[in-house]
Amino acid sequence: MTEIKHKAFLFDATRCIDCRACMVACSVENKIDMDKTRIWVAGVGVKGVFPELQRASMVYHCMHCNEPDCLSACPVGAYSKRPDGPVIYDPKKCIGCRYCMNACPFGVPHFDWDKGLVEGAFIDKCTMCPQRIDIGLEPACVATCPTDALMFGERDDLLKYAHDRLTAQPARYINHVYGENENGGTSYFILSHVPFEELGLPPLTSTPVKEVSEKVMEVTIPFALGWGAVLTGVAAGVHVYNQKKEADAKKVETSEPQTEEKK
Amino acid sequence: MTINFTRRDFLKVGGAAAGALALGHFIPPRVAEAARLSGILDATDSGYIPSMCEMCVWRCGLLAKVEQGRVVKLEGNPDHPHSRGNLCPRGQSGLMNTYDPDRVLNPLIRVGKRGEGLFRKASWEEALDLVAQNMLDIKQKYGAEAMVFSSTHNLSQPLFENLLYAFGSPNYGTQRSLCFNAMIVSNLMTYGMEEPARIYDDNLSYILLTGRNLFEAISTSETHDLSAAIDRGAKVVYLDPRFTKTAAKASEWLPIKPGMDLAFHLALLNVIVNERLYNIPFVSLNTIGFDKLQVELQPYTPAWAAPLTGIAAETITRIAREFAAAAPHALAHNGWRTSNFINSFHTQRAISILNALVGNWGVTLTGGGSEESSTLGAPPQPPYPRISAMRLDGVPWKYPVVPLKIGVFQELRDNIVKGDPYQAHGWFIARQNPAMSISDRARTLEAFGKMDFIVTMDIILNDTSWFSDVVLPEASYLERYDPLVPIGDQVFIRQPVIEPQGEAKSALWIYRQLGQRLGLGDFFQYIDEEDYLRQELAPLGVSLEEVKAKGYAQLSETPHASETSEPSWSTPSGKIELYSDTLAKVGFPGVPTWEEPPQPAEGQFYLLTGKVAQQTQFGTQNNLLLHKYSDEPRLWMNANKAASLGLADGDWVEVTSDIGKVNIRLLATQAIREDCVYLTPGYGHLSKGLTTAFGIGASDSALHVTYTDPISGGQALSQTFVTVKKA
Ligand code: SF4
Ligand code: SF4
Ligand code: SF4
Repeated sequence: MTEIKHKAFLFDATRCIDCRACMVACSVENKIDMDKTRIWVAGVGVKGVFPELQRASMVYHCMHCNEPDCLSACPVGAYSKRPDGPVIYDPKKCIGCRYCMNACPFGVPHFDWDKGLVEGAFIDKCTMCPQRIDIGLEPACVATCPTDALMFGERDDLLKYAHDRLTAQPARYINHVYGENENGGTSYFILSHVPFEELGLPPLTSTPVKEVSEKVMEVTIPFALGWGAVLTGVAAGVHVYNQKKEADAKKVETSEPQTEEKK
Repeated sequence: MTINFTRRDFLKVGGAAAGALALGHFIPPRVAEAARLSGILDATDSGYIPSMCEMCVWRCGLLAKVEQGRVVKLEGNPDHPHSRGNLCPRGQSGLMNTYDPDRVLNPLIRVGKRGEGLFRKASWEEALDLVAQNMLDIKQKYGAEAMVFSSTHNLSQPLFENLLYAFGSPNYGTQRSLCFNAMIVSNLMTYGMEEPARIYDDNLSYILLTGRNLFEAISTSETHDLSAAIDRGAKVVYLDPRFTKTAAKASEWLPIKPGMDLAFHLALLNVIVNERLYNIPFVSLNTIGFDKLQVELQPYTPAWAAPLTGIAAETITRIAREFAAAAPHALAHNGWRTSNFINSFHTQRAISILNALVGNWGVTLTGGGSEESSTLGAPPQPPYPRISAMRLDGVPWKYPVVPLKIGVFQELRDNIVKGDPYQAHGWFIARQNPAMSISDRARTLEAFGKMDFIVTMDIILNDTSWFSDVVLPEASYLERYDPLVPIGDQVFIRQPVIEPQGEAKSALWIYRQLGQRLGLGDFFQYIDEEDYLRQELAPLGVSLEEVKAKGYAQLSETPHASETSEPSWSTPSGKIELYSDTLAKVGFPGVPTWEEPPQPAEGQFYLLTGKVAQQTQFGTQNNLLLHKYSDEPRLWMNANKAASLGLADGDWVEVTSDIGKVNIRLLATQAIREDCVYLTPGYGHLSKGLTTAFGIGASDSALHVTYTDPISGGQALSQTFVTVKKA
């Protein structure tokens, strides 16, 4: 494989505390609508039986693949891979065919019908914050992380750092840097103490999905669908919430007396 | 499942909060004139303005990114010791606090019945005149003490205190007794300071967290410090009845039985003393009362503590030995609580003493960074009038060792209801929400009913404003100046990033205006906010412009006494007091001692609460960004227990305590002891003026029975027991 010199992320699941500062930061930085998100915390939640318990979370956004399936699938060339790493998307070219959504093995691009109609931007996904990295800042999610669970830097440096950690603390991690070779290599590396499937990451070979058979597609598409669901889960969450509020308004009452007016 | 949601459903969401959904959709606010004038921004009104977060009381330094006169993003200020370039989720969502569509932007005067939420807009003139008139009427009819003042930890508190002490009322309610009185009073009795500062240096190798859930109750820099310590391989032992996100990262999680932290800590002390694992030179040089402590500790063996705590005796012994072996690079964090019981003061004393015995002073603990700086100037003011009336909150006549500035808020509320020792008639509430914060909400509403007049100051129509006669709209933390904050040898500024929206005004402005109307103008001798800050800066020889541009001023190197000489403590003996004569003199045990907390009866659960990372107390549930990324508030119950009661995850359940009943959805999880349930706090709002938060979750204060720790005045929050059944 050719040497790749560009930016990348490193996510360390052993350090993430599921605080979601990264998600809020992304939403504000990129002016994301309240019912959408480009980044989400996924994970197994609590596993095990009291008191032998374990918990993990995984911050998920575009992997910025070296050989992006979204890009290959797009019939109008709306996607491009910048030489410095980001896989970006040009809303002006998009025709709303959703091929990228089906192609991406990680279920990252999501469809926004409303926006498409109004602004012609049907698809949205993480961009690696070019507006920030171009002036030497870290992407918004990384910059605010209070535990250094998310890091950003030169791909080579991060990869070396990740492997150094695996060597130095073998008991702490599963001995694998997810994203190094998966799907032809990505720009989002993940270290974990729980199996990667438990973090919701599909088991992928180093061959990009676009080059493998339909059979494998059958395996990965459910993942894609699953992630699509999580991706819109925030919106759905907000929605369920509001619905629930109406439906259960009668249930949510307390047995308190009203305050008395003083004469 | 979420996958079934159709486009239609999302459209409905889109319509639900039209205009307010995307930050990008806001009307451009005006950039702060002050920032433009001081040259922080470029010719297009763009750049970064340094200021300070107020989404919790940690006060991280921030950089507000301004683009063409609009604030578009908040970043952590790398120069600030509390943020070091990071902000937590609440800090990141701060814009939405300022741009909350529910902001109150005009003074409001009640027109309906209290609690109906009917108000009319008024001018500042009218509202302030009305407030001043009511306060003066009450003072004339019943005495100044009939006015109660309450406010929660904030930067304008010195001016708030000016208002109340100059007015002449002794009745001051802070939130502290609802939270950490036990910790503060215990440190005062032991070290003569409210809270020693913790040092997380590279050598720190052992951390004992008694319920300090630093990965959910986030204090950005300390959360980072703990994470980094774990990463370096420090051992973290964490006590909590719940498997929190901190428990998940700890080396060892001990799901201790609520109320039994005291037994655990007494047993640790027992091992350390009896096995002579303490730092003998340090203890003999710097502490008093070791002998009395040693005698008291004898019955508290690990074998004694094991059945109480649910933690094996060998485990307790091992932890005691490990902790002592790691000392002085060991830290027992006071925390706020794992649970609060009437014995919490002794628990906190035991933790303070554990640190003292192993001699970690100067290594992992040191003199606290005081927020009061002698180096800052202040406007001149006359002495306060002498106040002779008793305090309604029982300090010091019932709570002799509780500091006046801290008080016992729940007792204040109870005595308002009782009218004993006298009746209060007016309540001035600044940036505080007693309707949600004090246990037994119904009783707090009853206290409101006793009032002739209630005025509340806040940025949104919080639940207490909802029951108020006048609401004064404060500028948000991105819209105003506050007094400066010293941290170490630096002084930090909060300055406006945008002009206040609507008619909102800073607390500095509001207090001065009120002071003048009350005839107390001499206590507010500043022309405006900037003048106040200039007077603070005068002795430093630093210009306000410089502080505004940098975000802070560097104080000249004045070595702290503690760094240059032998350590000394401002206790009566000048030493660390393992035995406290102050306590003994007023009839309390001088050394920590066992007090058995009450336990739930068959079929009852301990009701626990505790923070989530996305919310601060009762004040942020209306923030749309935090709402977006928060989990739905639920009642946690151990999944096995739930199954045995025929309850399933997601069921609506009815939770009943001695004083209240709420309905909430169940979260059946392995992450909690079988004898406990946990309720996400801060929800169940009463104010319909909070359109995002209203109707969500249930209020813990509707369930909490009021019990008070007799020594520290702390509210024994976890002593409420509940039953749970299908709703
Ligand atoms: S993760 Fe998906 S959207 Fe991102 S670059 Fe890879 S294929 Fe494209
Ligand atoms: S900000 Fe960091 S710790 Fe918090 S959820 Fe994101 S990655 Fe995890
Ligand atoms: S901890 Fe979070 S909410 Fe508190 S001051 Fe810091 S950024 Fe703000």
